[in-house]
Amino acid sequence: MRTSPSQVGLLGLLTVIIVGGGAFLLGFYWLPGAQGVGTVWLRMCRAAGIVSASAENGRETALPGHTTVVIPPDAMTVGNANQIGHGATLALRCTGCHGAQGMSGADAPNLAGQYSEVIYKELLDFKRGARVDAVMGAMVATLSDQDMLDLAHYYAYLPHPAEIHRLADAPALIRVGDPMRGIAPCSSCHGRSDGKVGAPALDGEPKVYLQRQLTAFADGARRNDANAVMRGEARQMTAAEIVLVTDHYAAR
Amino acid sequence: MLVLAHFWSAFGLFLAALLLGEWQMILRSPLHAWVNIPEYYYRSVTGHGTVMAYVFPLLIAMGFGYAIVELSLKQSLIGLKWAWGAFAVAAVGALMAAAAVASGAATVLYTFYPPLIASPFYYIGVVLVVVGSWIWVALMAVNLRSWRRRHRGEPVPLAMYANVAGAYLWAWTAVGAALEILFQILPVALGLKSTIDAGLARVLFSWTLHAIVYFWLMPAYIAFYVIVPRAIGGRLYSDVMARLSFALFLVFAMPIGIHHLFADPEVGSGFKFVHSVFTAMVVIPTLLTVFTVCASVEIAARLRGGKGVLGWLRALPWRNPAMLGLTFSFVMLGLGGAGGLINMSYQMDSTIHNTQWVTGHFHLIFAGAVVIMYFIIAYDLWPNLTLKPLGQSRLIGMQLWLWFIGIVVMTLPWHLAGLLGMPRRMAYFDFSNAALASQAWTVNAAVMGGALMLVSGVLFVVILARAHFNPRSELAPYRFSAPVHALARVPKALNGFAVWVSLMIALTLTNYGIPIVELLRANTTVPAVFYFAH
Repeated sequence: MRTSPSQVGLLGLLTVIIVGGGAFLLGFYWLPGAQGVGTVWLRMCRAAGIVSASAENGRETALPGHTTVVIPPDAMTVGNANQIGHGATLALRCTGCHGAQGMSGADAPNLAGQYSEVIYKELLDFKRGARVDAVMGAMVATLSDQDMLDLAHYYAYLPHPAEIHRLADAPALIRVGDPMRGIAPCSSCHGRSDGKVGAPALDGEPKVYLQRQLTAFADGARRNDANAVMRGEARQMTAAEIVLVTDHYAAR
Repeated sequence: MLVLAHFWSAFGLFLAALLLGEWQMILRSPLHAWVNIPEYYYRSVTGHGTVMAYVFPLLIAMGFGYAIVELSLKQSLIGLKWAWGAFAVAAVGALMAAAAVASGAATVLYTFYPPLIASPFYYIGVVLVVVGSWIWVALMAVNLRSWRRRHRGEPVPLAMYANVAGAYLWAWTAVGAALEILFQILPVALGLKSTIDAGLARVLFSWTLHAIVYFWLMPAYIAFYVIVPRAIGGRLYSDVMARLSFALFLVFAMPIGIHHLFADPEVGSGFKFVHSVFTAMVVIPTLLTVFTVCASVEIAARLRGGKGVLGWLRALPWRNPAMLGLTFSFVMLGLGGAGGLINMSYQMDSTIHNTQWVTGHFHLIFAGAVVIMYFIIAYDLWPNLTLKPLGQSRLIGMQLWLWFIGIVVMTLPWHLAGLLGMPRRMAYFDFSNAALASQAWTVNAAVMGGALMLVSGVLFVVILARAHFNPRSELAPYRFSAPVHALARVPKALNGFAVWVSLMIALTLTNYGIPIVELLRANTTVPAVFYFAH
């Protein structure tokens, strides 16, 4: 080797500067320039991912009738005795439809043992108008945030009806979904193989209620599912499939 | 003892994770009825990934590094107690993480996936493994310094130079994931916060994610240069070329991780392009290596009487494990490298992003090209470590063939499945569906390939274990490959790391600085999803 000691290092440095400089020039000047929108400076900022330079920034607003609920951590914990007691008192107003122990005799949803964050989210959606129902809209109008949290904790505290089916016996749509139609398995959010925050437990719910909700999701009458997850699922399902899965969940 | 402890714990864990891998394949294939619980699959994937991506290669690199200090610097390891301490810390960490995963409290996959948050034990376990490895990095630096003080002006032996390059690469690349875990994930896992900036976490993880691949590769590359030529009776074609490759790996391995984030909207397209370009630059050290090693192999063939333009190929010792391993490794590196060109291209990536192709790619490169060289390293060092001959050369040949065939049978169909659009990280496919049925064979092939690899893995461990029971015998002193032209001196830049480490850090800052600052400023935090709470 006849190279002097520093030459190799210098050569390396030079290569990196040329390659790097070229790459930056292409990536931040020439390529964004080829898109031809806005000033050079704006394009360079966009290529760098600088958000404030992006025209769309800050324009995003919630569409009417869609959920705006962000579930707070204290809706996901177990309530203390005071919260449950206060919730139980408030729940006296709900017994007409949801039953004395949270088990409805009127095809309203059973609330006993439902996840607290689910109840809290639905109450808040009713209150904000993201979910529409003549009775529920009136019922929640005067509830404070704390009231809704306490109600949620009370119902979560009541025992949930026992699951009678094993997952292996459930219809394929519930176990594995139908990926080719974009239907995720029900059990991956609603329990038994996995759960997602905000998705209710469905076992033992009244069949009429479940069918009405799935149909409402399918035709867009109900729109408070975050990211349109349930609307996407339900639209793909046939009427027979809706009956099949709701039969399964309603059985007790 | 120290090296053996590292290697045995590495290979023990490797075998367990291999078993998990095969089980995942069976579970996902139409050969087995669906178990209805995706959790089991993902838990297994988390265990498999955590062991194979972090613990196994780290233990190999650490053990190999300690061996290199003694064998190439001809000095006993300074800081032996620290080395045992590092081993203990890493072992405790690995056990902690494994326990968290096994109990189902940490099914977040080894790439962490915030806003998913697992039990803090998992992350603390991973951090402890990394802390152990950082002690190793420090020990490598200390040992090199002490050698330099006693050998002023002499070139650092190639094996040690490459080894320390690997150690420095790891020290810096681990910083990204360490920042992510310590400042983003752990505060949430410990309950101090309930939100996390998932976009920032992904960028920080990408800092680690691609360079870690080159860190896995380092022991294999070291073996290419300093073990294979000697083992097949040849000489290293060029010592300087080898050093240059390792130095360039330091530079080009780091500022390229954003090519994993081509689909992430938080990162600007300019940076994606720049990272793409730098990823392409990795071909330079790779092709330098391919050229130098092939030239070294040709030297061996000609020394054994090989003649002609290609006729020398016949004179090669094809039954020699190192020759066989190198050949398989190069074939897999070539195939994987060709596929990698597609992954790293900003536009072409979109055809295979997050498909089974990617899984095929990194198994072909890491489990194939790299791990087969880990086998060769173990075979080559074993007589020196146990002071007993290894023997069983037929069995070794069979083991390497099985591994190679297994990898090819498993990963090539995965590439095809990815092109057809099969997503990766899926616990279940309904192959009774007519639209998917035609892809079922790719998963069955993976089961078969996995089975071959499992047999090969068991054979490997049996071969190493049996060697312990051989009678002791006089062994020639161990040595690494000698270059064709012995070096009296090497360019200063290639005897130290100052230029390359500075470039590595500077390029990381230019290529990651703005994306990280911008994500911090934009504050794209989302609520954390506590996996272990359910």
